[in-house]
Amino acid sequence: MWRRDVDGQVLTFHLAGINNQNFLMRDEETGSFWQQISGKCVAGPMAGRELKLVYSDEVTAALWREENPNGMILSPLSKYKSEYEKKDWDKKMAKVRTVLDFPKTGIASRELMFGIAWNGASKAFPVKRLLDEKVVVDRVGGEPVLIVVGPDGKSIRAFHRKIPNAEAAPDFYRAVNVRDVKAEDANAVAEAAKKPLLMDAATGSEWNFKGCAVSGKAQGTCLEPIPALKDYWFDWRNYHPNTTVYNR
Amino acid sequence: MKSSARWWILLVIAAVVAIACFAIPMYVIRPFRAQGGRELAMALAVMRIRPVLSILAAIVAVAVAFALWRMYAGIGKRLLILQGAVAAIVFAALSWINVYELMFHGAGKPAFVSVKSAALEPDEMLLTVNTGGSARAYPIDYIAYHHIVNDRAGNIPIVATY
Repeated sequence: MWRRDVDGQVLTFHLAGINNQNFLMRDEETGSFWQQISGKCVAGPMAGRELKLVYSDEVTAALWREENPNGMILSPLSKYKSEYEKKDWDKKMAKVRTVLDFPKTGIASRELMFGIAWNGASKAFPVKRLLDEKVVVDRVGGEPVLIVVGPDGKSIRAFHRKIPNAEAAPDFYRAVNVRDVKAEDANAVAEAAKKPLLMDAATGSEWNFKGCAVSGKAQGTCLEPIPALKDYWFDWRNYHPNTTVYNR
Repeated sequence: MKSSARWWILLVIAAVVAIACFAIPMYVIRPFRAQGGRELAMALAVMRIRPVLSILAAIVAVAVAFALWRMYAGIGKRLLILQGAVAAIVFAALSWINVYELMFHGAGKPAFVSVKSAALEPDEMLLTVNTGGSARAYPIDYIAYHHIVNDRAGNIPIVATY
């Protein structure tokens, strides 16, 4: 997700090529080519410029509906309906051959990663491990981070693990009464989203999935969300050659 | 060298240039092929000059074809002249087409509905953004196909990519 204005000029992007299974975009206004994954312009009049990243999330519809009752959602273009892929396209994609592999890393090319490029460093967290552990307390580039699986058991968010006016790098735990709910059960997800999800060890406050404290000493403050990208290992490793991997 | 030889050479060059305008980016930037940095830069350079270059090549090819047509009456030679001119025109035209948007149609100007009235599966994944005072979501199913959605959140112009 990027801002598409550069120095006051608003650009309109079109698909212009597939670049190592990521893609290239071309803007109508200057004819320059931009890399989707980095937002960098690689050729044309705007070469060297970069788009500004906008924080975005990948969450389930049930959760988003609960968090944003006034939200607007893209309506499908009916003439292309037959071309939209089914819900389980990512399972099918997992079987497609990759153009690049990093066998020495010992990680499968199509292992899905939750990738964070932040604070001058990159780190990949295997999605399977995150969904298992539900709350992960770690560091990226030396700074403390918190990665949480949402009340729907599917959505994942990352935050800078820093509470204003509290001790540095507090520990976080899953709140005591949190039950696992199925993502397909919209009502259960909505109910679960209203309750606190986490507790921190520094202030004893309760926190929700938006990263905001709903009770306790820190009530009213929110953790800074960190942008992350769900990506296959081979693609993440290709664009972040110095990446580390969680727990390796 | 016979003067007609020059025309033949020019026709071939024009046709080859038109073909290269289309083929080089098509070959380098095709899906499921790893690309090196320098060859990508070269292919992109071709893509930037080809709208003009391909038209020039087609014009030259057609002009040369006319000249050669008048020099040769035989079917064999005339067929060759036609092939050269047609090849230049066809590949110049192809150079103008964005094949990627043919494969994955652009989303154009997207329409949005309120999340309350949308028919959604609860566990369907959405790409979401909250900025400019607007909360917007793009179903992963849809954007995985369109790849790019040019949009506005409030008065902030954004582009969603997947």
